[in-house]
Amino acid sequence: MKVAYYPGCASHGIAKDVDIATQLIAKDLNLELVEVEDWNCCGGGFMDDKSEEIHTALNLRNLNKVKNMGYDKMATPCSVCLNSHRIAADKYEKDPELRENVDERLGRANIKYEGGVDSEHFIWVLIQDVGIDNIKSHVKKPLTGIKVGTYYGCQLLRPSSVMGFEPAHNPHSVMDLVAATGATPVAFPMKAACCGFPLMGSNPDVGLKMANNIFTNAKGNGAEMLVHPCSLCHLQLDATQLKIMDRFNQKWTMPTLYITQLIGLSFGYTPEQLGLGKIATNYLRSRGF
Amino acid sequence: MEKKEYDAVILGGGLAGLMAANTVAEHGFTVAVVSKVFPTRSHSAAAEGGIAAYIKGNSDPNDDPDFMSYDEVKGGDYLVDQNAAELLSQKSGEIINLLDLWGAPFNRQPDGRIALRYFGGQTYPRTRFVADKTGMALLHTLFEHASGFNNIDFYPEYYVLDIVKNGNNVNGLVAMQMKNMDPIYLKARALLIASGGLGMIYKHTTNSYINTGDGYGIALRSGVPLKDPEFVQFHPTGLYPSDILISEAARAEGGILKNNKGERFMAKYAPHKFDLAPRDIVSRSMTIEMREGRGFEGGYLGLDLTHLGKEYIMDRLSLAYDAAKTFAGVDATEEMIPVRPAQHYFMGGIDVDITGANSDLNGLFAAGEAACVSVHGANRLGSNSLLETLVYGRETGNTMVEFLKNHKNVEASDGTDKILDNAYKYIKRENGEHFGTLLNELRDIMWENVGIFRDKNKLEDAVRSIKKLKERSLNMYVTDKTTNYNTEVFNALETRNMIDVSLAIASAALNRTETRGAHFRDDFPERDDTNWMKHTLAYLADNDIEIKYKPVIVTKWKPEPRVY
Amino acid sequence: MVEEKEITVNIKKYDGKNDPYWKTYKVRADRYTQMTEVLRRIKTEQDPALAYRASCHMAVCGSCAMKINGFPRLACRTMAFDVMDENNEINLEAMDYYKGIRDLIPDIDTFYDRMYKVMPRLYADESVIAGENEQRMTPSEQKEVWKFQECIWCGLCVSACPSVRMDEKFLGPAAHAKGYRFIADGRDTKTEERINILMDSAWRCTSCYMCYEVCPQDVQPVIAIKKTKSYLNEYKGNTEVTEMARKHDDTVFDLINNTGKIKESTLYLKTFGFGEAIKDINYMRKEGKLKYALAKDNDVKNIDEIKKIMGDKK
Repeated sequence: MKVAYYPGCASHGIAKDVDIATQLIAKDLNLELVEVEDWNCCGGGFMDDKSEEIHTALNLRNLNKVKNMGYDKMATPCSVCLNSHRIAADKYEKDPELRENVDERLGRANIKYEGGVDSEHFIWVLIQDVGIDNIKSHVKKPLTGIKVGTYYGCQLLRPSSVMGFEPAHNPHSVMDLVAATGATPVAFPMKAACCGFPLMGSNPDVGLKMANNIFTNAKGNGAEMLVHPCSLCHLQLDATQLKIMDRFNQKWTMPTLYITQLIGLSFGYTPEQLGLGKIATNYLRSRGF
Repeated sequence: MEKKEYDAVILGGGLAGLMAANTVAEHGFTVAVVSKVFPTRSHSAAAEGGIAAYIKGNSDPNDDPDFMSYDEVKGGDYLVDQNAAELLSQKSGEIINLLDLWGAPFNRQPDGRIALRYFGGQTYPRTRFVADKTGMALLHTLFEHASGFNNIDFYPEYYVLDIVKNGNNVNGLVAMQMKNMDPIYLKARALLIASGGLGMIYKHTTNSYINTGDGYGIALRSGVPLKDPEFVQFHPTGLYPSDILISEAARAEGGILKNNKGERFMAKYAPHKFDLAPRDIVSRSMTIEMREGRGFEGGYLGLDLTHLGKEYIMDRLSLAYDAAKTFAGVDATEEMIPVRPAQHYFMGGIDVDITGANSDLNGLFAAGEAACVSVHGANRLGSNSLLETLVYGRETGNTMVEFLKNHKNVEASDGTDKILDNAYKYIKRENGEHFGTLLNELRDIMWENVGIFRDKNKLEDAVRSIKKLKERSLNMYVTDKTTNYNTEVFNALETRNMIDVSLAIASAALNRTETRGAHFRDDFPERDDTNWMKHTLAYLADNDIEIKYKPVIVTKWKPEPRVY
Repeated sequence: MVEEKEITVNIKKYDGKNDPYWKTYKVRADRYTQMTEVLRRIKTEQDPALAYRASCHMAVCGSCAMKINGFPRLACRTMAFDVMDENNEINLEAMDYYKGIRDLIPDIDTFYDRMYKVMPRLYADESVIAGENEQRMTPSEQKEVWKFQECIWCGLCVSACPSVRMDEKFLGPAAHAKGYRFIADGRDTKTEERINILMDSAWRCTSCYMCYEVCPQDVQPVIAIKKTKSYLNEYKGNTEVTEMARKHDDTVFDLINNTGKIKESTLYLKTFGFGEAIKDINYMRKEGKLKYALAKDNDVKNIDEIKKIMGDKK
């Protein structure tokens, strides 16, 4: 199966390992990821703070590219990119005045938005198109006995009226995927709370505090590792983790993996192949990976 | 007991109370607004369709305030005080402009002026609206405006027990803060009762749970009469089965009532106005259709919007769509909404004149649904309740201002402890019946016997049964003895009020041997202008209701047959 | 006839002094039964002492906000059959965040205080007040104002908001919707003051869409906050938060405008400055992420398209 693939800026940047792991398992699962031609940043969470019109227009440019490539679905590994494209399409459909302004902006670049493309999260594709059983059949090294905190964050789930895949207050997608790897999913109360990343450009003190709360809550509920579905959560919870632990005087770390990295481990890839950070790599070594 | 003193104290934080509070405060007097709920929780929020107004330069070119008054007089089956109806129409435009000035987000015409639409019983379109949450939008606007005054103090979640009197003068009221049960005496020389309606006395009502007729009960106990209490409005389109209001806007925008044969049955009962005939006529017609076997199983009829198109429904009738979807699982763009009549409004109320003043107690005023100014007569037209709360809220506020200028302070009274003892007795009693048993019985009696179709037997039965309930209520007790937000105490006190006002309604209905507006007697099916062109005044006298009369004020319009 | 079932309702009772405890009730209900009706039945038929708030039962008064099966909702807008689990059970608790008073009744004064802070009322032009001019409003402006005026002050968004709990300077979702409603209203004259009140707080929102999710009126407070943020250039004040936001915001805009993408390393440097960046680079190096931070992704080839889309209005 071929899917239009929108990696997003972060997974071509500091969260490159999100892209690496996603590409690896996609190949195993016979998913051909065709990168969206000449895609642009969705501006998710930032550009709509500046201009709703520009934000919407930028996202629709990407969706139109997908349409021109002959696809009706665009998969992204990043919850923020997902949220951004879905919100943009939703606003465009519901707000005639915005629609007029966005059409004018796109028109300047000779783009006529045609609709007909659905943005989906890569894990929705995994669950709906690939299937949990199919994923299970690729597991070579079941992660039996590892207790994995299943974290969803915000943008994958909310607003559920726009995201639509699963109930925002009772999600199950990450848990289902973790279970497929043979690991033990650990639900914890803050599974859908914010990781604080969006505050890093204006109020980082509180942003870091939010991340610390996620770690503490997951650990307190028995998780030894954490998985999540978002390139920007990855920046916050993995790339920035040591800073957070220092800031709050924590004497421990929480190995944090993007969901396809965990699946990759169960498919038999090594931490190095999956581009894991040092915290996770060291921990997994100690667990025999 | 804690005591605070104000110039005016207002019971009720809905539209009428807040409008009066704004008016009195504008003149520099101090005001306390007391309510058992936070003001924005008041029942005014539930008014959906709109507010009627003749605005000079922004109305149908053929319309005129006199046409509007005529519609009210005819709609009210000539029990309307015509000077009050005229004032209501004349002031309607300026009150809309005032609300606009205070920030009300009325729907607009393309040129930026306030939009308008037709409502039941109107000769020309006059209804102004904010989507179909007009009441909520106006309530928030008025509350927000009032919250900007330093001389208005709000007492939200305070339950009012009774009026404090000194001789024939009002001297404030005693209330209890609900979260800690602490009593407070709010002393004031002017008291406005604007505590809304009483729907909870009926088993089926579109009203809020808080509509328990507290103001009426308090007035009756203070020797103040209710005027025309036999006139209770039943709205045609309560959603089946939850009785949530589906606004008249649904029919104003083109919705059609249909029976189980798919017939537009209103063509038979109101050959000119069809589904937009006044509410008493439509509700009766619906009841007849169902009685004669043309309703749907379970007891309802269909309200068909499907021909209006999805976009139009979503834009103009989003609340109706939403209510049908959420509460009855029906998609109104594709299927008929199941509806049946339910109690909706009380035309009767505390007896006041056109200035909002009561003549039994010096310093007592009433406005809104709590009052009976007699603008609605025997049946209220849609879009006129919001208008009345605002116009008469303001008129009454101005009357209070004049009263306050001319009346000096009244000596403190000593009746406050007795008021408190009367409330505490339910808590002190260790056994008996709790409020729920009495209340559920009362609601059944009122629905079965004092409903849309009435007769002597049913009404005599009702009066007898309510008197028994009143006796039993002397032994009512409260199981919960705690002092933090003890809602059971307030439910017991509400039940006391509901029983008294129900007795007034049933007694007055038995007494009026004619059919007029919403009061339909199977045994007296004709209007009788010779004997009954007069207002009822119902007084509570111990265990009984004493009835007196008051003439109807006629200015321009002589009674004629009421055909739609 | 409509099928009835017996449902089990567990309510977290609280008397203000002792620890809360769960009490179980059995009630008959059908698929049309609202949770407010369930509560009314329990109160009038089984437990008169049960305490909860309810008024309009049609989702316009905002009284009956509570947690139903752990999720913040209006009881009236919730049908029993839609939320009961496979054992026909439903759990009810008071909202989070607010101090409990009794059973399902919390003290939400702190919610009202937040609302009052944003001057929640229209200040019309003097000439209109004097009757010299009339106020007009286009239908589309009315639509924008009404969207955010539909708030019913139920308090659910504040109870569920993570920023509210962690940052006392954040006004909370509802107050922002209310504040923006007046900015969007051309009849109001206090735009500058309103921006002053709202701007710092707006940048304390973490855009988690929780308020959008729980709002029973679809007010979308987070969207109001985003719209408020877009007035940053008109904001004359300067706080630590808005200063950083300005740098970050401008850099994001320039990066996308010039390359079509966000380059985190550039964004980082420009937002936090060199000193902070060096410290953080060290953390990233320790976690083994430095190699990615220094990698460079392709720019958008057809950058002219981006520039045209993002250009000023004609």
